[in-house]
Amino acid sequence: MRALIIDDEDLARAIVREHLAAHPEVEVAAECANGFEALKAAAQYQPDLIFLDIQMPKLDGFEVLELLEAEGRRPAVVFVTAYDQHALRAFEAHAVDYLLKPFSKERFEAALAKAQRLQESPAPPAATELAASARHGKPLERIVVKDGPKVTVVHLDRLDWVQAQDDYVLLRTEGKNLLKQQTLASLEAQLDPNRFIRIHRSYLLNLDRLVRIELDTKEHRDAILRDGARLPVSRAGYQRLRELWEGA
Amino acid sequence: MHPLLANRARLGAYLLGWLPIALLLMGIARSQGWSWFEAGVLALPLCLLAAFLFLSAWFLCRAMPLGRTVEGLGAHGAAWGLAALLMGGLWAGLAWLLAHLLDWVPGLGALPQRVSTALPVLTGLGILLYLASVALSYLMLAQDRAIEAERKGAELQLLAQESELKALRAQLNPHFLFNSLNSISALTAVDPTRAREMCVLLSDFLRRSLGLGERRLVALREELDLARTYLAIEQIRFGARLQLAWTLDPAAEPALLPTLLLQPLVENAIKHGIAALPEGGLVAVSAEVVEGHVILKVDNPVDLDAPRPEGLGIGLRQVRQRLLGRFGSRARFEAGVQDQVHRVTLVFPLETEP
Repeated sequence: MRALIIDDEDLARAIVREHLAAHPEVEVAAECANGFEALKAAAQYQPDLIFLDIQMPKLDGFEVLELLEAEGRRPAVVFVTAYDQHALRAFEAHAVDYLLKPFSKERFEAALAKAQRLQESPAPPAATELAASARHGKPLERIVVKDGPKVTVVHLDRLDWVQAQDDYVLLRTEGKNLLKQQTLASLEAQLDPNRFIRIHRSYLLNLDRLVRIELDTKEHRDAILRDGARLPVSRAGYQRLRELWEGA
Repeated sequence: MHPLLANRARLGAYLLGWLPIALLLMGIARSQGWSWFEAGVLALPLCLLAAFLFLSAWFLCRAMPLGRTVEGLGAHGAAWGLAALLMGGLWAGLAWLLAHLLDWVPGLGALPQRVSTALPVLTGLGILLYLASVALSYLMLAQDRAIEAERKGAELQLLAQESELKALRAQLNPHFLFNSLNSISALTAVDPTRAREMCVLLSDFLRRSLGLGERRLVALREELDLARTYLAIEQIRFGARLQLAWTLDPAAEPALLPTLLLQPLVENAIKHGIAALPEGGLVAVSAEVVEGHVILKVDNPVDLDAPRPEGLGIGLRQVRQRLLGRFGSRARFEAGVQDQVHRVTLVFPLETEP
């Protein structure tokens, strides 16, 4: 069984490694100090098990898991965290295994045993679902996209609009288009509804980019954006915009 | 208890205030052909009587507080009028009684007759004086209320400050605590000496921050000691990712500042600077004295890819508020990013323990 230890603190990784030393059946393929290293190591070693810290620079634990899933990797996961009440509730609710820093040897053994058992029975919760649950109703702040070998982190104030493309969403950010495998509805559900508006069946718009609405022909409106781009606005979308304005 | 009776100085001033009235009364009596003796013997005791008798207006006024509108003023007016009439009558009656009690004294034989003639004037004067004392009573009640409100306000402010400090003490960052304990747990196997060192540092930090929370003002030296202990712990946790630079002018160390003002700044520097960057960076703390002011700076690197948050976070807002709350316009707070470095600058007057 191959394992990765992913934590940005040396000492925190050392403790997991120390506990794993008693388990010759588990081979520590690599230690990773951040999410990008973790993605690289996962591609290289195809781990069966990962010990995953949640709070890390650039990419957090949930985002790492989401990107691994996007690559079709589903290792058994043991989350390791110091303190995050909402995340704990999410783990409990989704029966995901976790360790609280600092943890005892017994607790570690139990988590490892459970992870090894669960390895054969798949269907863990989707990382996005788990992350949403751990955010505890707070909207998403950034989106991670795997673009070939590259990972891009899109902060939402740099996201202009999103277009539905079958099972994918096209994200428009800083003059570039990025594709992510996710439905528009599931992305919309994670965003702040006062910030991103469904102006059309296929479009979510960052309200900050909207300059004006133009009536094209009878019953047909266009949203004019700051960069001059035009997006179609459906009747229901126009209604939503008006409600937002009138409510404000 | 009547406020004028509760305080000797006030009572004295009040009675002194009646002296001109007594003189006025004597003057009126003289103008009616009374002798000095007759006028004095009646006016002085009568005014003393009135002074105490009319104090009762205060109880009436307390029982009938003034509303904000003219509504209900009719009832008030009726009550004042009735009381004034009663008191004026009572007072004139007392004058009559006094005159009769004193008519055996040589030279005062004509007094009962004189008072009888003056009874309407005395009643009218009594009514006016009573109404004046109603007005005075309302003034005193308003003043009492104002003082009470001020005292309550000050009390509330004190309570708010205390609870704010309590909240600060309770803000002992659980992340920091558990991560530090985890570092200790890791070190016990690989480096027991460092594990012990970290235990001592952590205890030191906890003891210091608990102790500081009890006080409102503290010398910068103590704040710096706390920050040093905190950063020493974080350095064990983050290893090479955290570099530290201290530039401290000893002259700044005794400067007094609100408690736990520096700590949120260094905690922010770790959270948003070091912990958010895979390669970490430099946290620089500096304190200097320029023209009677302390300039305290905390620098940390920032992740340029992350969006800049608009405005200040709660932590920095609180620091600003508490700094300006203490020093007002004599202090300055600045926070901003330049050349990939986030810098918070506090400028405040150098004041030391007397």
